[in-house]
Amino acid sequence: MESIIFGIVWIVLSVIGEWAARILINHDPLYYTASNIGLMVEHAFDFILVVLLPIFAFVVVSFIWTMVRFRVKKGERPQLPKHWTKSNRWFVGIWIMGSILVNLMFVLHPTTTATEHFFALEQPSAPQNRHAIVVDVTARQWEWIFSYPQYGLTQTLNANGQDMLELPVNRTVKLVLRSYDPYHTYDQYADVIHSFWVPSWGIKEDVIPGETRILYITPTKITSFSQNPMSRVQCAEVCGPGHPWMEAPLNVVSQSTFTRWIAQQKALQSKG
Amino acid sequence: MAERTPGEMTEPETPDWSRRQFLWGLGGLAAVGAVSLFGRQALVSAARSIFGSPITTGAVNLYAFDYYYVPNYMVWRVGDQMDVTFQNQSHTHWHEWTIGRHVNEAYFQAFGELPADAWKVDFWDGVPVTLSNPYKIDNFVPNKALVTYKGPKSLYNITSGGDFSPTLKPGGSLNLSFRVPDKPGIWDFGCFVQQYIHYRTGMRGVIKIVKA
Amino acid sequence: MAQTLSTPSSAPSPSTRRAPMPPVLRGFLWAAVGFLILNIVVDVVDPFRGHPFVTGPSATIGWVGALVGWLLGVGAFEGVALPLFGYPSRWTERTTGWRRYFEYSTDHKVIGLQYLGSAMGGFLIAGLVAMLMRWELMSAHLTIFHYPTNYLTAVGIHGTIMMFSVANVALLGGFGNYMVPIMIGARGTAFPKLSGISVWLVPAGILTVLFSPLLGAWTTGWRGYQPLAAQDPNGILFYYLGVAALTTSTFIVALNMVTTVMFRRAPGMTWGRLPLFAWGQVTVGLLVLIWIPEIQATFVMGLLEKLVPFNFFTATGSVLSYLELFWIFGHPEVYMIAVPVFALWNEIIPVMSQKSLFAREWAVIGLVFVMLLSGLVWAHHLFTNMRNSEILPFAFFTEMISIPTGFAYMAGIGTMWKGHVRLTTPMLLVLMSMFNFLIGGLTGVFLADPIVNMQLHDTFWVVGHFHYTVIGSIVFTGLAAVYYWLPKMSGRMYSEFWGKFLAIALFLFFNATFSQFFLLGLHGMNRWVPAYPRYLQPMNFEVSIFAFLLGLAFVAQFVHIIWAWRKGAKAPENPWQARTPEWFTSSPPPRDNFPVQPEIVSSLYIYGAEQPVAVHMSAEQELAAARDSNEGGEHPHG
Repeated sequence: MESIIFGIVWIVLSVIGEWAARILINHDPLYYTASNIGLMVEHAFDFILVVLLPIFAFVVVSFIWTMVRFRVKKGERPQLPKHWTKSNRWFVGIWIMGSILVNLMFVLHPTTTATEHFFALEQPSAPQNRHAIVVDVTARQWEWIFSYPQYGLTQTLNANGQDMLELPVNRTVKLVLRSYDPYHTYDQYADVIHSFWVPSWGIKEDVIPGETRILYITPTKITSFSQNPMSRVQCAEVCGPGHPWMEAPLNVVSQSTFTRWIAQQKALQSKG
Repeated sequence: MAERTPGEMTEPETPDWSRRQFLWGLGGLAAVGAVSLFGRQALVSAARSIFGSPITTGAVNLYAFDYYYVPNYMVWRVGDQMDVTFQNQSHTHWHEWTIGRHVNEAYFQAFGELPADAWKVDFWDGVPVTLSNPYKIDNFVPNKALVTYKGPKSLYNITSGGDFSPTLKPGGSLNLSFRVPDKPGIWDFGCFVQQYIHYRTGMRGVIKIVKA
Repeated sequence: MAQTLSTPSSAPSPSTRRAPMPPVLRGFLWAAVGFLILNIVVDVVDPFRGHPFVTGPSATIGWVGALVGWLLGVGAFEGVALPLFGYPSRWTERTTGWRRYFEYSTDHKVIGLQYLGSAMGGFLIAGLVAMLMRWELMSAHLTIFHYPTNYLTAVGIHGTIMMFSVANVALLGGFGNYMVPIMIGARGTAFPKLSGISVWLVPAGILTVLFSPLLGAWTTGWRGYQPLAAQDPNGILFYYLGVAALTTSTFIVALNMVTTVMFRRAPGMTWGRLPLFAWGQVTVGLLVLIWIPEIQATFVMGLLEKLVPFNFFTATGSVLSYLELFWIFGHPEVYMIAVPVFALWNEIIPVMSQKSLFAREWAVIGLVFVMLLSGLVWAHHLFTNMRNSEILPFAFFTEMISIPTGFAYMAGIGTMWKGHVRLTTPMLLVLMSMFNFLIGGLTGVFLADPIVNMQLHDTFWVVGHFHYTVIGSIVFTGLAAVYYWLPKMSGRMYSEFWGKFLAIALFLFFNATFSQFFLLGLHGMNRWVPAYPRYLQPMNFEVSIFAFLLGLAFVAQFVHIIWAWRKGAKAPENPWQARTPEWFTSSPPPRDNFPVQPEIVSSLYIYGAEQPVAVHMSAEQELAAARDSNEGGEHPHG
C-alpha cells in the first residue's frame, strides 16, 4: 500500500518535472546556440535532461518520504520486529536492471549516435567539407592569430588592431588549430596547451603544441559579441597569467558582408 | 584546559614542555608567515618612506625574472653616469625593459580598457646611450634614442616599432651606458611582451630621478 | 621566537632539568636548520648567474632537509631514529592530556585525531583562500588580487590543499586510523610507528603548498600540469614537493589500514561480517596503493621537467602524456574520496533506522566495482584533448560506473524504507550528502556524454559538478561522521538543535552557491579566470554572497563541534543503539581500545528484537588479548 502511494506521488511529480523541462527546453537550456554542432549538443543535453528527471524525482521523493513517513519522534523507542527484511528480490532486481538499461541506453543514445554523427561531420571527405573556408588558427601565449590562406591573408585584425575571426553564415569552415609562437620559435617552453572555444557554437577543441587539429563546423546564425556575448573565441584551458584575456572577437556575417570584409583586409594587408 | 594538572603522566625529573612557549611560538610563526605572504610590499614601502632610498649610480644589475624585476625601485640622479647590466634570469621567457610614463590602454570587447602596448612618453627619446656585450638578444627597438653600438650590429637584432626596448632571450644580457638625462620625476618601467601580459601580471617598477 | 631559539634543542640529557622545547616548535627550528644547510650546499655546488641565495635546485634540495628536520624535530628523533640505530632513548609515550596531540605518538586514536585536526586546518586555510577567490570574482576585473598570477596561484593552493590534505585525509587518515581498528575489534594498528610519522607529513605538505608563493607564482591549478608548469615561476616546485609529502602520507595510511584489516581482525570478525566502513577503507586502500605511486612518479617527472629540464612534456616531447598520467590517477582519486563516503552512508543509515542493512552484499559489491571501474574512466577528463578514436570506450565505462555507485543509494533507500528513522544530525547530514552527491552524479551524466562535454568541459558547469560530488560527499558525510562518533571520541554529546540548525543552513547556502555554477557554465563562464566578460558579473556577485554565507556556516559548524567536544553534556554509552564493536568500549576508548579481546558472534547490521548482541567479551579472552598487544609492539619500553 505504502509503495503504491509512493509510486503515484513519484509519477505525478515526474510528470510535473517533465512539463517544466519542456518549457526549459523550448527556451534553449544552453542559453544560445549558433552552429550545427551546437544544435547536436543541445539535443543531447535535452534528451539526458528528460531521462534523468524521473530518476532524480525517485531518489528525492524517497528521501522526503523517509523524513515524513518513517520518522520516529525524539525519545520514542518503537518495538523492533523480530526480523527485518534483509533484501527484496524485486526491488533489487528492478533497480539493477533499470540502472543497467538506462546506462546502456545513454551509451547508445545520445553518446554513440551523436558522437558518430560528429565524427561523420568531421570527415575531410564529407561533401560539405570539401569546399570549406580554411582558417589557420594559431594559439600563442596569449593571442589567437587567424589567417585565411585561400585569400592570402596572414593575420586579420579589427579596427582596434586586435586579431579577429569573421565567417559567413551557413558555410562550413575548416579550422586548422595549432599551438606555437611564430615569433619565438627558439623557445620550446612558450608552447602550452590552449583550448579553442566558442561558447555559442557549443564546442571546444584543445590546441596541443606539436599537433595539428582540424575542426569542421558550420555557423548557423549571424552573430557577434555585441549580439550575444557567448559569440567570442575564448581560451578554455588555463595557459598562464594571460589566460583570462585570451579572447578574440568573432563575427558571423552574411556572405556579401564577408566578401567585403575580405577585400578590406586584403587592402589593409597590402598597405601595412 | 584549565582543569588539567600541568605535567601529568611524565617522568618526574624532566618538566613538561611549556604550553605558553608552544602557543606564543606558533602565534609568532603564524604572524611571520602572514607577513611573508601578504605584507612584504607594505614593509618595503614603509621602510622606504622612513629611511628613504639611496641613490643608485654607476654599475647596476637589473635582473628580469618571471614576472618581476630586481630591483623594482631605483633612484637616479640627473647627470650621473649609469652602467646598467640588464640580465634575463628566466629559463623560459623573453623579457624586455622599457621606461616611460602613462601606459597606453586599448579597448578589448569583453573586458573594456586594459593596459596595452607601452608608454605615451618614452623616457629614452633623445637620450644618448651606448650598448655593449649583447648576448642572446631577441630584438632591440631603438625608437628615438641616440644609440651607439659596440661590437657587430647584427648581434643586436635591431628592428622597429614601439618604444625603446631591448628584449632578451632566456639567459640573455646587455649593457647600457648612459648619462641620466635632465628628466626628473617619477618614471615607470615595465615589460610588455606576450601581448602586454607581463606588464599586466606585475612586471613593472619605478625609477625616481632626482635633480643633481 | 627568541625564547624558543635559545632553548637547547638536542636530545634530552639526564643532567638538564629545563623543560624541553615544544616538539612542534623544535620541528620548525630543525626544519629551518635543515633547509639552510642543504640550500647552502647546493648554492656552493651549483651557483646560478647573479648568485641568488635561493634558486630552484637549492630550494628543492633544501626542502628535503627541511622535511627531515621537521619529522625528527616533532619527535621521530627520540621515538624512531634513536631506537632504530640502537641508541638509548628516553622517549615514553604520553597517554593522556592535550599535549599528546602535538607530538609524535603511536596510538592510532591520537594519530586519527591528528589527521582530523590537520584536515580541519587545511579546510579552513583552503576555505579562506576560496573566500578570497569569490571576493575577486564579485567584479569582472582584477580587484584584490592585482595580478592574474596571484589569483591562479590561489586557485592552485585552494584545490591542492582541499584535495590532497582534506579530501584524502579526513576520512582515510582521520576516521580510518581512529575507527577502523576499533570497528574490527583490534587493539592497535599494524604499523603504529610509521603511522605516527606519516601524520606529520600532512602539516608539512599543507605549509609547503601554502607558502609556495614565496618561490614565485604558479598558474596550473591543482593538476600542476605540464607543459605549462615547466614555464611557470618556481612556486610550482613547492606544489610538487608539498604534494609529494601529502600523497606519501596517504599512501602510508592505506598501507596501515589494509594490513590492519587483513591481519588484526577480532576472532569472529569474518570478511562477511566486516563493517562497511572497514570495507570502504580496504577498497580505498587498494586504490591508493595502486595509483598513488603512479602519480608520485608523474610528479617527480614534472619536478625534473621544471628543474633540469628534460623536455618530457614540451612540444619536442610528448605533450599530452602528463595529463594522461595525471588523470589515470585523478579519476581513482575521486573514488578515493567517494568510496568511504558510500560506506559511511550505509554505516549510519541502519543504525539510525534501527533496521537491518538492506541488500548488504550489493552495497559491498558496489564499493568493489566502483574501485575496479575507476581505473578505466580517466580519459573522460580529456574528451577535448584526445584523439576521437579513443572517446567512445571511455564514455562507455564512465556511464557504466554510475551503476555500482547507484547500489549505495539502493541499499540506503531500502534500509530506510519502513524503518524507524531517527532524524538526528548525522542522519540529516547523510541524507543531505546523498542529495548533493545525487546532483553531482546526475550533472556528471551530462559531462560523460562526449558531445555535451565539448560544450561543458572547462566551464563552471564542471566546477559546480565536482564541488557537488566532493563537498557533497566528503564534507557533508565527514561532518555526519563527526557528529555520529563525537560521543565515542569525546564522551560528550552535541546540541541536537544547533547541529540540525547549522546543517540546514549549510545545506541551503551550499546549494544556493553551487547550483548557480551550472548556469554560469552554460552561459559561457570558463575556469581559471579572475577577469571575465561583464555580462556574467551579476550572477557571480550573487554567488559570492552565498559563498560567504556558506563559509560562515562552516565556521559555525566547527565552533559548535569544538564546543560540544569540550563542554557538551555527558554522552550515554551507546547513544545510537548501534551494533558495531566501537560502541562496546568506554568513550573515549582506552589506550588498547578494549579491556579484553572482543569476539564477534553475530552480524553487525541485523537489527531485530531477538537479535543477540554482536560483540562478546569474556575473561577467557584475556590471554589472547595479552598476546595480541605483545605482538603489536606499541610499547618499546613499556
